Amino acid sequence: MNVQNLSLQYDDMDAPILQNVTFSLGEKECVLLLGASGSGKSTLSRCLTGIYPKELEGTMEGEVTFEGKPVKDAATGTMSRRVGTVFQDPETQFCMLTVEDEVAFGLENICVPSEKMEKRVETALEEVGLLHKKEAAVISLSGGEKQKLALACILAMEPPVIVLDEPTANLDPVATDEFVSLLRSLKELKNITIFVIEHDLDPWIDITDRVLMLGRNGSLFYDGPLQQGVDRYARSLYEEGIAVPGAVRVAMESGRTAPPYPLTARGLAPGLSAPLKAPPHRENGPSLMQASGISYKSIFSNVNVTISEGSFTAITGPNGSGKTTLCRLLAGIDPVSSGRITRPFPDKDWFQHAGYVFQNPEHQFLTDSVWEELAYSGAEDEKIEELLEWCGLTDRKEFHPFTLSQGEKRRLSVATMLVKNQEILFLDEPTFGQDAKSTSRLMNLLEEKHRAGTTIVMITHDMDLVDRYATRVVVMKDRKIGFTGDPDELWNEDLAAFQLKEPFRVRTNRLIKGDMYVPQ
Amino acid sequence: MYLNNLNPSVKALTILGLVVALALLFDPVTPALFTLCTIAVTFLFGDFRRKYYLFYLIPFTIFAIGMLWTTIAFADAPKNPAETIGLIWWEVPREDVLVALSLSFRVLAFATMSLLFIFTTNMVEFLLSLMQQLRLPPKLAYGIMAGYRFLPMLTTEFRQIRAAHRVRGMGRESRWKRYRRFAVPLLAGAIRKAERTAVAMESKGFTGTRERTFYRNIRVRKKDWLFPAGMGAIFLLLILLSLRFDYFSWYQGQL
Repeated sequence: MNVQNLSLQYDDMDAPILQNVTFSLGEKECVLLLGASGSGKSTLSRCLTGIYPKELEGTMEGEVTFEGKPVKDAATGTMSRRVGTVFQDPETQFCMLTVEDEVAFGLENICVPSEKMEKRVETALEEVGLLHKKEAAVISLSGGEKQKLALACILAMEPPVIVLDEPTANLDPVATDEFVSLLRSLKELKNITIFVIEHDLDPWIDITDRVLMLGRNGSLFYDGPLQQGVDRYARSLYEEGIAVPGAVRVAMESGRTAPPYPLTARGLAPGLSAPLKAPPHRENGPSLMQASGISYKSIFSNVNVTISEGSFTAITGPNGSGKTTLCRLLAGIDPVSSGRITRPFPDKDWFQHAGYVFQNPEHQFLTDSVWEELAYSGAEDEKIEELLEWCGLTDRKEFHPFTLSQGEKRRLSVATMLVKNQEILFLDEPTFGQDAKSTSRLMNLLEEKHRAGTTIVMITHDMDLVDRYATRVVVMKDRKIGFTGDPDELWNEDLAAFQLKEPFRVRTNRLIKGDMYVPQ
Repeated sequence: MYLNNLNPSVKALTILGLVVALALLFDPVTPALFTLCTIAVTFLFGDFRRKYYLFYLIPFTIFAIGMLWTTIAFADAPKNPAETIGLIWWEVPREDVLVALSLSFRVLAFATMSLLFIFTTNMVEFLLSLMQQLRLPPKLAYGIMAGYRFLPMLTTEFRQIRAAHRVRGMGRESRWKRYRRFAVPLLAGAIRKAERTAVAMESKGFTGTRERTFYRNIRVRKKDWLFPAGMGAIFLLLILLSLRFDYFSWYQGQL
């Protein structure tokens, strides 16, 4: 597959989203395209699959060819036999109700004879390990299983090239690792070219043959082996919104300025003289909220939690373990079925003192501009200016909230919850699906608020965040509380049982001590 | 069970035909008997949660009773005002009561036939059968299927938005303004989701043309004809009965 001088501009945008992009994909190669959110990654994937220029509202120059033939000349529907795509959002890429129907859907489209279909459906499901769910309803699957199903749908159609557009952005770390290792084994087994589009490099290090880096201006600035790319651009990657592998970051911070940088904890550990230092964990204050023996419908029963004043409490655990439910009960969004929650403020004006940031920031926007959004609860102009300054949205104050970028939306939704100087802030996975730069920006803001005395309760999957910021951690498992306490105590527990992943710092330190055997 | 395995297109067409036929008649007894027969057939040959059936039947019954009352109360001037029937403490013209009863039972007959279909038919099979037997364009059928998946997503989304707005301190405004505020995020979300689904379907080679094969082939078998034949026979029997006892009447614009 070849891409020659591809440039693309949407009609409603001032600048082109892709500029002079040129690269090629070889047979059986696994290529990783890195770029920040909004840098045109998804646009590029649509060009590869021939959806653009057919459905494009804008102009496209340059050429995409597959085995020497231009993609744009291919008849509608035939490109799907050559290039298959797994998309980012597990919820919206299916149209059928059961697993087998969904896999068969693609085969029906390319007119595979009925009698051959069953075999191909089963083979594809077996390859991704979902054969036992053949007759299950698609909605009953977990996020990780849905992405595997999406992959099975593509595998069944047997295209030589598979494009994955941020396939793990909505998955938790354990499901991400599982998905990547599934791809690795498929790559060895089958004759396929894999093209992964991502903003986070970490999980993909092992399987990447070559890496492309896409800048914010829409042009490629690197094409080559991973190690050299990281060595050369480690510093600018962060600016481009691409997550630098933890090992590289530590290596740079520890004063090792000269490349080559180690890419993994395994590579980093031998070069370190002392274990990485734990962040200073501050004390938790006296109890602020207490939930005793709370139950909610049939979801969970008899749960006890205490949130202490001025703490940064992280709620974590696998998907479906009841994290969001617990958080909503604590925040008073859903009423408890039984049990008691003691809150420091009367229920009547509770939301004057507590804020809740939902998973999707768009749900919380009420007005037509960023300024009005903050002014909605009757704040004074100076306070609004101050908040705009704080979240870096001063020059966007006339914008409609829906037109902001993902990171900006998130920061705005946090700011709206702080208009009243709320003392408690609940956040439901605020860093999900955000690129490295907006994640660190948001976390800095939260850390600042926390230092100023705000109590923060945050749901997260990211153990590195827990390690770095949390003063207390609550782990949910099977709708029960599996662990509460200091994060450092948690790292000594059996993390795999909670389906959690060790944070980078702890993993590295373990390797220094040499008490973990990591197979090559 | 027989009704659940029946070819959905045959089932739908049969019911459509019966509805049209019933609409041509206008006496209270035939639709009443037909309603009973439909319920009997549903329970004898269908496999479904019995409790839910009754639960769904209740609103239709209430509607039918309401219709009975309004038709009597707001009837036109009767031709034979002398002939009356005593309804508890109320003297009403016989004619009006008959018209009202015919209407109410007609509603119930239509309702029970629809329920027969809804309770014994799988949505996916129905759409597949529409494509395979009645040549419904796949573009439309798969569009409906994708939309069907969206409904539960939209309800959860609506609940999320409502809760999110409550946290922001909504509630001082009028109801209309509040619902208008729900519309923007709901629509924005729905459009984005729909677009993503469309792209995903297209990338799996879906073009909307009729040229496709099917994983589940839905055919019309010989035993599928038993249903229209059986239901038709019941209907004819009821008409013969009405002719025999002389209460048969066409619909002639009564009301």
